[in-house]
This record gives sequence, structure tokens and C-alpha cells, in this order.
Amino acid sequence: MTASRWLLLVLSLVVAAILAIAIGTINVPISAIGDALRGDQSTPALVVRSLRIPRVILATLVGAGLGMSGAALQGTMRNPLAEPYLLGVSGGAAVGAVLATVVGLSFAFVPIAAFLGAIVAVIAAFFVARVAGSRGDARVLLMAGVVVGAFANAAIMVLLANAEPNVVRNALWWMMGSVADATWPQIEVLFGYVVVGGTALALLGRRVDVLALGEDAAAGLGLDVDRSIRDVFILSSLVAAATVAAAGLIGFVGLVVPHIARGFGARRHRTLIVASGIIGATLVVMADLLGRVLRPPAELPLGAVTALVGVPFFLAKLRHLR
Amino acid sequence: MIRFDDVVVRYPRASTDALNGVSLSASSGSLTAVVGPNGSGKSTLVRALIGRVRLTRGVVRVDDRDASTVDRAELARDVAVVTQREELAFPVSVNEYVQLGRFPHLGIWRAAGTNDRHAIEEAIEAAGVRELRDRPIDALSGGEWQRVRLARALAQGGRALVLDEPTTFLDVGHEMAVFELLSRVARNGLAVLLVSHQLNLVARFADRIVLIHRGVVAAEGSPDDVMRAEILERVYEWPLVVTRDPAVGAPALVPLRSR
Amino acid sequence: MARIRFLILAAALIGCHASEQHADPSPEPRDDYGTRLAFGVAPKRIVSLNPTTTEILFAIGAGDRLVGRSQYDTFPDSAKLVPSLGPALRPSVEAIIDAKPDLVILYASEDNRPAFDRLRQAGVPTVAFKLDSIEQFRRDTRLLGRLTGDSVRALLVVDSVSATLERVRLATVTLERPTVFIPTWNKPIIAIGGGSFMSELLEIAGAKNVYASVPTPSLAVTIEDVVARNPDIVLVGPQTDSTIRTSPIWRTIPAVRDNRVKVVDLDLVSRPSVTLGAAAVSLANLLHPGIFR
Repeated sequence: MTASRWLLLVLSLVVAAILAIAIGTINVPISAIGDALRGDQSTPALVVRSLRIPRVILATLVGAGLGMSGAALQGTMRNPLAEPYLLGVSGGAAVGAVLATVVGLSFAFVPIAAFLGAIVAVIAAFFVARVAGSRGDARVLLMAGVVVGAFANAAIMVLLANAEPNVVRNALWWMMGSVADATWPQIEVLFGYVVVGGTALALLGRRVDVLALGEDAAAGLGLDVDRSIRDVFILSSLVAAATVAAAGLIGFVGLVVPHIARGFGARRHRTLIVASGIIGATLVVMADLLGRVLRPPAELPLGAVTALVGVPFFLAKLRHLR
Repeated sequence: MIRFDDVVVRYPRASTDALNGVSLSASSGSLTAVVGPNGSGKSTLVRALIGRVRLTRGVVRVDDRDASTVDRAELARDVAVVTQREELAFPVSVNEYVQLGRFPHLGIWRAAGTNDRHAIEEAIEAAGVRELRDRPIDALSGGEWQRVRLARALAQGGRALVLDEPTTFLDVGHEMAVFELLSRVARNGLAVLLVSHQLNLVARFADRIVLIHRGVVAAEGSPDDVMRAEILERVYEWPLVVTRDPAVGAPALVPLRSR
Repeated sequence: MARIRFLILAAALIGCHASEQHADPSPEPRDDYGTRLAFGVAPKRIVSLNPTTTEILFAIGAGDRLVGRSQYDTFPDSAKLVPSLGPALRPSVEAIIDAKPDLVILYASEDNRPAFDRLRQAGVPTVAFKLDSIEQFRRDTRLLGRLTGDSVRALLVVDSVSATLERVRLATVTLERPTVFIPTWNKPIIAIGGGSFMSELLEIAGAKNVYASVPTPSLAVTIEDVVARNPDIVLVGPQTDSTIRTSPIWRTIPAVRDNRVKVVDLDLVSRPSVTLGAAAVSLANLLHPGIFR
């Protein structure tokens, strides 16, 4: 990918972030953003510091994590429809969050429960794959992930069937995804996962390039195929689980963003993964902005907006394929 | 350089052995061809070499070392393998694809150096794919794709080259070019192990032929030793005669109409 | 000739229809599902699955005839002695029928339509009430009184509450009205809208609901929208008080930052029932301290 394309991507993210910080129910002139950062105590400045900037940073991290995770998985699975929630991450996280809500734990515990749920689901997927007779075979892992996901959905339905309306509302709201409750501790944790996990994924990019040739050819090039697949799956799932814990279920990003990155000319996975991180961040920041301004005074759930934005992109890409 | 010692392989849940005690060797500086009917176990040999299938018994040795104990990346630096099929889900350019051949040397940390660039250049030149450099892989014809794959294997460097059916989709001209290239590469000191259907070309270019039938070695030796009507008819279960080709006098197989 | 006859017929029909509307001063009594009400023998076994109607029944003297309530119906205290039959939404029809009621009162939400239909099919007299606004409280209390045979008490209750409400209204009518925001839920943030009795209570208590212009009883909002509307006072329940005061997100609202958050007794103000009068007094005291000695 050329330098000018990189510049375009980074600029898009910066512009999106600035717009998202400035635009909202209260419009903040861009000049005021600087004042806000310097500690101005007026209401718009507070809105920028306490509401908008945390949201935008959280959205950036979530989008970057999902984008990178999706790019790595698509190459590893050699499947353009692979996405970060593959191994049951979304189902497991939802079970964790719903369980925490049903049991009556305070809101502070829901992200932890979601993360744990996601991890348990991934471990369960590996276990199911092992029982089916394979450790690293990508297709078997995929099927195990589907099985775990289906089971998780059933569990959620059981949990919610007899729950009080408030519990159901809480659970649904969480599942629809949101960065509205962004707090700095949350951001710090997610930052760790996304930066460390994302860097590791990008470093593994060359291995994914080789994996993308097929398992036999990859083995011929000296790659420990089973272990490499497993490493990518675990890293991607960790990053995805961390984003789900922080912001709920945000679909389509991990699926669509790598295709957009390829449209920009990123081919080798080190480049593709980093580009997907930037594009993913931009997409989620824009989606959050749209969710805030499309239907005032309410806020559209982030997961809904990313799907609405992602679908046309995807259709355009499908047409391109023919 | 590469030796199979009494290798037995049975696929999980199979009722018979895919390879039942196969021994063969491919030495440096020569071109060894493995031939045989469909399902005889030829591809399993290649898989056993790269560790994609487990040996029930026996050892595959590279340079007298048990291949299963050697670090995979080290093995890949010595032995370049071109498998039968390869399909990329996401296209890259030919240049990027050939560069992947240096992966065993670079790993995830090292940047490409002059050695690497040199190896890539030579490989592209030798395989005759210079004009295709900037094309995306999915825009290549079947034959061009085969040659690009060969270029990648050559870029891998190493002292042995193992190929599984490298000339499918190639027209006569390109087929000959590949065989000539392989022959030249073998002359230069590489151990070339080739699995092929093309009995006649194999007879012209190979130094040794190993004929595999139902998982065992049915015949081995020089082309003259192996290319005999009675042996080939029995193995391929088809009437044929063996004659001499008018160009260089190598044995040539001519299939007859069924009786 | 035929044309004139047709015109006369048409006029007669139109006249009939119009006179029908004017003949009965009060329209046919219907519950909040729109089903016609039949007033017959006073029921002896009543099931009420709604905190508001349960409380009203106790106030009008029908409480001793209650044989079933929902798990949320905890007012007045004596209601807790009535057996609980489970949730108020999508209740167990079998549990209700098991209590052998001769009148069932459900909450009139769409969720309860299936239960409503099944109970009626089983021959159990069932009605549904919603009670979103103060006028609905007045109307539905009167209807409940007619249903249970306690019309007199019901009218007294309605009049008493109305009188208190009027007293509060008069006391605050000349005062300056602060704008008030009442969040009832956090994820998403749900505010009281103009269609809710709480909004009316605020008016009576001498304040103005910051979302009074929205006609629905409640609506989902964002923090930024609240910041933009800049309410003078935020009313919260005791459980959420400390969370809201300390959350950096909520503190972007000037009222929260400047400590203009007041705690209101949710049990008192969350039901449009016989406690409406007391609720109005309590709100007025909260928003205009010292107004009632």
C-alpha cells in the first residue's frame, strides 16, 4: 500500500474523530475542543472531556480491535466471511452478561462476566474440536465455534424467558452494543488488549500470508500449521472478547473492514491487519456519531448502526466480485 | 539426500495402508521421479515428507537426519516442496507470492536482505515468469500459475526440490521448459524428487524412476529398467507397448486400444 | 319520488346516529383494552395484577375480597397478605384460574392480551386498566368502584385525591417553576415524558417536566440531550442517588455538577393511585421547601 493511501486512512480517522467530538446534541465548535482539553469548565467543554472524548477513544479501540481480529482470521481461515466472533466469542460473552444481569450483579460486573463468558466459549470450542479429533484444523474449529455459539444462544433464551422485564431490557440493550458508558478504567484495559493483541497479530502477519496458501503449502514452507492457526485464533478471540466486554456486541465490523482494506490495496497481512485496524476505528467512530444524531433525542444502538453501514459496503464488494 | 526408509502410512479410519513399506532415495545432483497409477500413494509420500501425515512406521530422512525431528523451518530451508494444488483465497501479486518462498529464512522478524532479493530474482528468471511479476495471482492462466509456483519453490533456496505433479495445465512447450529447468537444477547439484503422471517425459529426463503400485514399490531403477511393457501393463492395467522415441531414444510408452 | 325517499332515509339515518351520540351523556364504559364493561353482581373473589389497581381496591374497601395479586403489588402493607400469583406481565393463566376469581384485573399492556383472551374464553370476567394519567386514575377508580360494588367509596377516594391535588396546585400556581428531569432507567436512559401522570404531578407541584413536550409516558434519551435541555433539578430514587452524583458522565449535566439532585421517595410517586395526593404534596415540599408546614 502506498504512502499516500496510508496518509488517507490516517487522515480519515483523525477527521472522523474530530467530527465525532464536535458534533452531537450540543454542537461544539472545533476551536472549543482545544479549550476543553486545556481544562475549561464550561458545559460544552465538560461534554467534550467527559462524554465525547471517552466515547471516541473507546470506539476507536473497539473498531481497531475488531478490524485487526477480522483481518487475521479471514487470512488464516482462507475465508472471506470469517469474523472475530467466530469461535463463539459473541455467544459466550452474551451469556456472561445476561447471567450477570439476571443474577442481579451491579453494572460494574457485567463487562467482566462478558469477558469470562467469551473466554469460556473459546475454550469450549477448542475442547469440542479436540473431541472431534483435531487440534488446529481450521474447519473443525469453525464448526466447534458454531456449535458453541448455538448452545450459547439457547442458554440466553432460557435465561431471559422467565426474567423480569427490566432484566430483559438491560440484557437487550447490552447486546445491541454501545460506547455511551465509556469510562477511563474501561478504556485503559481495552487499550492494553488491543495494542498488545493487535501488535502480536500484525507480527504474525507473515505467518498468515503463508497460511493463506493452504495448509499443505504452508507446512512445506516450514510453518507449524496447527500451532499458528491456534495462535491466531486465540489472539483474535482475546481481542474480540475484550471489545465485547467493553462495548457489547458490535457486528459486521470484523467482517467488512478487511474487505475495505483490501479495496485500498492492502494485500500482505502485516499491512492488511494494520490498515484494518485504522479503517475499523474510523468505521466505529462514524457509526457512533451517526447513532447519536440520526434519531434525537434517543441514541441508536451502535451494533445496529454498524450493520446498517456495513451492509451496503458489503453488497458493493459482492458486486465487485462477480 | 532424501531417503524414505520402509515407510508405512495409514490414514485414520482407512482399511488399508496408503504406503506399505516404501523405500526410495533421491540423491543430490539427480532427478528422481515417482510414478504410478492414481491412488497408488504418490502424494502420500510428499505429505509424509512435510509432516502433514503421520508415519505408522519407518523414517523419512533428509541428509541422514530423521525429518520428524528436524525443526520445520530448518527443514524448509533445505527442502522446497511444491504441492499438487494450491488456491489462494485472497490474491496477491506474483512478486509478493514468490517472496513468500523466503519465509523459512526470514520468519516473522527479519527483513529481506540482498541474499533474499537475489534468490527471488534468480527464481523468477529461471521459471521464466519475469513478465508476470506485477500481475495478481488470480489473473494467471493455469500454466502461468504452475510456473509461478515453481518460482516460489526455487526462491526457497535449499538443496532439494520436491514437486507433486508440477506440469498439470501446462502445454507441451511449457511442460518441456519445466522439465528442462528441473533437469538443469538437478545438474547444478540439487536433489530433485518429482511425482508425475508424464511417463514419457519422465523417461527422458529422470535419472531414476520409482514405480509405486498400491502403496509398494513395484519397480525402480533407470528409465530403461522400469519402462518395460510387462511391468507397466501389470501396474496400469491397460494394454500398451514401449518403444524408443525418435528424438533421443529414451523409452516411450504408447497405450493401445482396449481389447 | 325515489330520490326524495332516499334523501329522507339518509337524513333519518344520520339523525339517528347523531342523536345516539347525544342521548347517553357518558359514553359506554370500556376498559383500557376497549372492551365493554358489564356491571352485575359484586364479585367476591378478585384477582388484581397491578400495583396501582391493588392499592386502589384496598382504598375503596374491596381489599378483603382480593384472592390474588402480582408479586409487585406491595402497597398498602395489607396487600402483602394476599397470595402472590407471579408477574403482572404475561401472568400464569392457570394460577389465576386456580384462585377461582369472579373478577380479574390485568394491566392493559399488549403483553397481557393473550392472558386476557384466554381468561375470557375460560369464562372468567376480566378487565384491563392502564392508569397512565391522573384523569385515567379518576376514571378507572370510578369504574373499579362500579365493578366491585363500592361506587360510593370510590367516588369519595377520587374526590379526596382531587381535592388534595387542587390544593397543591393552588399553592404553587404563582411560584417560579423549576424544570425537572426524572430518569427512571439507566441503560438506556429513560425519562418521564409528558404523557405520564408524573409529568402532571410535577405541574401540580409547581415545576415543569423538561420532557413535557413529548406526548408519550416515557422515552429513551441521551445524556447530551439532557445537558442541552439543562434541567434545574434532577429527581432520583435513593438507590441511584450516589451513582449519579459521582459518575463523570452524569456530572456533565450542570444540575448534577452543582448538586441540584434531590432524592424522591419512589414508592410514593411511582404509582398513579390513591397516593397521588400525598405524592403531589411530597413533590411540592421537595421542590419548594417550606410550602406546606
